[in-house]
Amino acid sequence: MAISFTINGVGRTFDGDEEMPLLWHLREEAGLKGTKFGCGIGQCGACTVHLDGDAVRSCSVPMGSLAGASITTIEGLADSDDNLHPVQEAWLEEDVPQCGYCQAGQIMATVAFLKDTPNPTDEDINAGITNLCRCGTYFRIRKAIKRAAESMAAT
Amino acid sequence: MNSLSRRLFLKSSAATATLAIALSSTPFVLAQDDEAEGGHVTPCLRIGTDGRITLCVPIPDMGQGMETTAAQMIAEELNVRLEDVDVELMPFLGRVNDEGRAVFGRFYQGGGGSGSTMRIWTEVRRTAAYARTLLLEAAARQWQVPRSTLTAVNGEVIETATGRALPYSELIEGTRFIGDEVKENSVDPKPVDRHAVIGKDARNVHGKAIVTGKPIFGIDAEVPDMVHAAIRRCPHLNGSVQRFDDSAARQVAGVLDVVEMQRIPEDLSTYRTVAAGVAVIARDLWSAKKAAALLEIEWDGSVSQEDDTDLLRQKCLNALDDGEFNTSIEGGDLDAAFDAAAQTVEATYFHPHWAHTCIEPHSCIARVTDDAAEIWVAHQFMDAAINGVTNAVGISPDKVTAHYYRMGTGFGRKFEEDYVMEAAILSKATGQTVKVTWSREDEMEQDYVNSLVAYRVRAAVDSDGDITAWHMKAAGDTVPAIVTREYPARLVDTYKGEFLQVPNGVSRGAWRGPHHNVAGWVIQSFLDEVAAETGQDRLEALLKLYGRKESLKSVNWPYRDTFFERYRAVLEKAASEADFGKQMSVGRGQGIAVHHTFVSVCAHVVEVEMIGQNDYRVRKVTSAIDCGLAVNPLGVRAQVESGIMDGLCAAKYGKWILDKGLVTSNNFDTYRKMRIDEAPTDVDVHIVDFGDAEPRGTGEVSLPPVIPALTNAIFAASGKRIRSLPISENL
Ligand code: FES
Ligand code: FES
Repeated sequence: MAISFTINGVGRTFDGDEEMPLLWHLREEAGLKGTKFGCGIGQCGACTVHLDGDAVRSCSVPMGSLAGASITTIEGLADSDDNLHPVQEAWLEEDVPQCGYCQAGQIMATVAFLKDTPNPTDEDINAGITNLCRCGTYFRIRKAIKRAAESMAAT
Repeated sequence: MNSLSRRLFLKSSAATATLAIALSSTPFVLAQDDEAEGGHVTPCLRIGTDGRITLCVPIPDMGQGMETTAAQMIAEELNVRLEDVDVELMPFLGRVNDEGRAVFGRFYQGGGGSGSTMRIWTEVRRTAAYARTLLLEAAARQWQVPRSTLTAVNGEVIETATGRALPYSELIEGTRFIGDEVKENSVDPKPVDRHAVIGKDARNVHGKAIVTGKPIFGIDAEVPDMVHAAIRRCPHLNGSVQRFDDSAARQVAGVLDVVEMQRIPEDLSTYRTVAAGVAVIARDLWSAKKAAALLEIEWDGSVSQEDDTDLLRQKCLNALDDGEFNTSIEGGDLDAAFDAAAQTVEATYFHPHWAHTCIEPHSCIARVTDDAAEIWVAHQFMDAAINGVTNAVGISPDKVTAHYYRMGTGFGRKFEEDYVMEAAILSKATGQTVKVTWSREDEMEQDYVNSLVAYRVRAAVDSDGDITAWHMKAAGDTVPAIVTREYPARLVDTYKGEFLQVPNGVSRGAWRGPHHNVAGWVIQSFLDEVAAETGQDRLEALLKLYGRKESLKSVNWPYRDTFFERYRAVLEKAASEADFGKQMSVGRGQGIAVHHTFVSVCAHVVEVEMIGQNDYRVRKVTSAIDCGLAVNPLGVRAQVESGIMDGLCAAKYGKWILDKGLVTSNNFDTYRKMRIDEAPTDVDVHIVDFGDAEPRGTGEVSLPPVIPALTNAIFAASGKRIRSLPISENL
């Protein structure tokens, strides 16, 4: 039976293999390459998207579980490229990306994290942000999280 | 995707190249110019029909920031602001050499050895200066005025006196006819004191594409009608397929074919280039992966039984006692110096293999026909990617069209050809356009790892605490000669370096700062031991050692002169900024170290806090680097920060495990990487300016000294000397 859900606000149905992880649907069927494959076992966070507002690792979410779900990917985070989400803006301001491969996942994790923890301490960040960055941009990620939190608090 | 968006997609960041084009074109008019894309004025500048300016850079980016750095060089000469232009990779502009190999032409087009910036420094700026001159000359002719009355700024040629302007886009045609009069290389790039872009902070030029999730990486590439391959590669280091049953795999919907992959070379006693395996070809990636998992394969792993982490470790340690070593370097009378010593210090060090763990698993799309090939790939070296196709299926490099993409890290691994070869082989075998996508397990099991080495270091010390003789022996699964030749050999006049390679079948490769990444640790940790044993101040001892001579010509690649004033300067800078030697509370300590990697030198002070007996956190890292002229200080700091994290992580957790030829650490659950919770919250990077007019290198330079600065800090904090890595198992 076909499964219905939304991706970035657009309704979609799926009637393929229910075991397939959401990651592959996004990348290979929905044409949304911003969500990245890093490990396939829920360890790295490169594949982080929002599922009903929560950050999830899409490599570990089977398609069969998505009936009625609302999914947001990095492509759907901002209204447009000229009006970025404050977290994306903070990432640019702090010049976080090196290779950039992990950063969509980092940004999606941070957006969800800041919803629950709008004014995070270093300890909050240590506990709440667990995505891997192979380029080691953690120092700038930390600064960008704080910058984003400040700018979101100000608006 | 419809065909239009597919086309846009492909164009998003890929650079397209055929050697044939590069060979046939005049230097400043590329045959790939077409109406839709506007025109090139030199390979460094493309102007769209809409007037949009695109700077074309020669070296692919893997996070080291080369595209931004090269764009700064071009922007400098064209007087444009990076915010106003686009940046893309230029095509491969190489040629075929006499051996039938693709080699670089006008530009160096590879990322490695921390040398990309300096290797394109002259050529890229000259080319961009030439582009500017061509545009000025075209406008001068159109207006019938002397060129000297015109300037080129922000995409326009402006007549200074009248203010009238012509956009570059209207001048392209004019530049086509003046090549003979305006000679290439006749215009010198700007001198340092006129730089407005070079030497200023520039953010990642692809930052916005990255934070909005644009498909710019190799793994994002798609071409119409491609099929997907998932390969089950032999999990044994050097093994083969005995037999396989693909009946269940073929039942999976979407599966088109199953192809056995031959090991290259076939002789299992030689190092692996392409692994033996079985490939499933399917319409979509998921079906290919799912079917590949259903293959029943019987492997023969008998050849690799002795390739075992514990066994190799033991072999290397034993060799230190009784192996037949080769002498790499020797000076003075070593035995006499040790006999005469007031004190001698000796220690044995060891480190296991490290995996690259490139965050983007490798992938490649190949379309091979009878007499031509096309690839879409993220690769560190443009020439090597093309040669991979030639090596795999015999198509001459001048018949290979290559499209290059951004890399989700490389670290030396995306310098190898295997993932290109597999795609070419499968395309040829199936007659299809094939995309091969690696899993994380593939990436780690088939890695070309950093070497495993054991060291014995000895120093003779006189009554002043000065080292009078230096003796370094290294036994590893590589040829560990570099560490044995490194300073302080020759700074100390009596020295000996010896190395030995134990027989093994491990594929080893370049890993960020090859050889130096561990040489820096062993040497700088041991110097710290000597200072501690002889009761000297650690910083003073280093300053004294590196004050013995003013310069020496390095005997390690790239054989440059080393100026020890710079060692001392970065040490002093890092020490003073970190307040090295300050009073620390119990359980806290500072460590200091310096190392020269290829062309640049870097020092760090690391501060750690012990957590119980067996763990610690790095609280602060203070760094000083001399990398020559810093083209992009913001990028240099990023690379120093990155090398620090990479070093801290590899030292603490890096251990790629072979269990009788089987790789058992093949994903992030079994190969631990640091996360933000263990990253220092305070990283303070200083670029020491010696007034150089030319850049050198940065990407790998900060890593080697950070590991000894860390282990020296752990010693200061806990009294425990780390002589075996990873630290997590040896503290
Ligand atoms: S790919 Fe999903 S967590 Fe790594
Ligand atoms: S920026 Fe390269 S992995 Fe994070």
